[in-house]
Amino acid sequence: MTPIQPPRTKAAGAKIVRYNGVVKRYGDFTALDGVTLEVHAGEVVCLIGPSGSGKSTLLRCTNGLESLDGGDIEFEGARLARDERGLRVMRQRMGMVFQSFELFPHLTARQNVAEGPRTVLGMTAVEANRRANALLDKVGLADKGDSYPSALSGGQQQRVAIARALAMNPDVMLFDEPTSALDPETIGEVLGVMKKLADEGMTMVVVTHEMSFARRVGDWVAVFDAGRVVEQGPPAQIFDAPATERTRDFLSHLGWSG
Amino acid sequence: MTLDWAVVWQHRDALVAGARTTVLLAVATMAIALPCGAIVAVLRLYAGEPVRTLATAYVEFFRNLPLILVVYWAFYVLPILTGLGLSPFATGLAALALNVTAYNAETFRAGINSIRRGQTEAAMALGMSRVQALRRIVIPQALRRILPVLASTWVSLFKDTSLVSVIAVTELAYVSMQIRAQTFRVLEMLTAMAVIYWFLGYPQAKLVDWIQRRYAVTE
Repeated sequence: MTPIQPPRTKAAGAKIVRYNGVVKRYGDFTALDGVTLEVHAGEVVCLIGPSGSGKSTLLRCTNGLESLDGGDIEFEGARLARDERGLRVMRQRMGMVFQSFELFPHLTARQNVAEGPRTVLGMTAVEANRRANALLDKVGLADKGDSYPSALSGGQQQRVAIARALAMNPDVMLFDEPTSALDPETIGEVLGVMKKLADEGMTMVVVTHEMSFARRVGDWVAVFDAGRVVEQGPPAQIFDAPATERTRDFLSHLGWSG
Repeated sequence: MTLDWAVVWQHRDALVAGARTTVLLAVATMAIALPCGAIVAVLRLYAGEPVRTLATAYVEFFRNLPLILVVYWAFYVLPILTGLGLSPFATGLAALALNVTAYNAETFRAGINSIRRGQTEAAMALGMSRVQALRRIVIPQALRRILPVLASTWVSLFKDTSLVSVIAVTELAYVSMQIRAQTFRVLEMLTAMAVIYWFLGYPQAKLVDWIQRRYAVTE
């Protein structure tokens, strides 16, 4: 039922993540029903589709926060580890940004960013803080290093969370609806940081309801419905000439006019 | 009715010694019950069976028994079980520690459970192990959250140490009652006892308030 795929513009890049018939069940509910998808180096792959269609579940399977019930996931050429130790090594190379930020409330913005390098990479406090300061500067929050998350706006918190994920120097960034919990006026600043990352060549998998972002920044878009990818292709195809009824339905529900 | 407050002054040495024992008993109980409570909580949350069930059974057993019963039980049964002739102080300490450990275990468990799952996931997404996530992210937040509960447990414990007077531990309550029995100065000795407990307890309550303000975390 998957239509023939057009060639990918960044097909030259190595495959970073490869989903092969991924299945995930919660009791009787099938969240992912055989998802096959590739993420190439330097690409921004956007996962769109109605709520509960499996996009976030696929993202959480990517770094092993959820286990698989079928199929498999390859990360940088190796099968995703099933044991905690192996997963830990792989997670260090995947950054993750959550819908609800999940900053550590007992740590300052700088400490949040420095926590991974310190605890996981064993960096000294001085080194880790230097890296944290540079990353806070990159997301436009150089002056907020000493602020606790509770003193920051939603948009600022999410930018700190992006810096925290970047602090591990990941090969791929996973974004789980990064702007869904934000006030409309702060969505732009987070998308701006994500656009900047994409322009720098970061490989990104983005679960989003921001269609204009998917269209403008995405290199490849996968449309989910009921745990399946019903259509995938470059944004121009998905948004201007959707091949399936499901994609057309979904986009028209959002008021997308093409 | 004439009151003779001199009786309090005459027995000041005994009262001071009793107060010292009360403080020592409370401090020693907490010193045992904090780490033991943490261990029992971790066993309840993360250990496999049958350890998990045993830890739960321990907590539910001691949390639901009157402390005075545990004190008597420790006094009569513990020597038979262990074959040791424990001093009244050690016996009282054992009873209090068994009770407060159960309370602390429940407090720690609730505190750890109150931290959102997403916090552990965020830590693990960085590549931390479960133990690292617990130690660096979950426990520091849980501790701040349960501080008020631990503090109120401490305040209760400080007063509950008086219960071990029934097995002749020479703490403040026992000493006061002894003097009362010898001098028949009931009102004076009960008042003196109340004043001493209050003046020992009040600064602790204030200290606890300060700690709570100092380490409060807003989300």
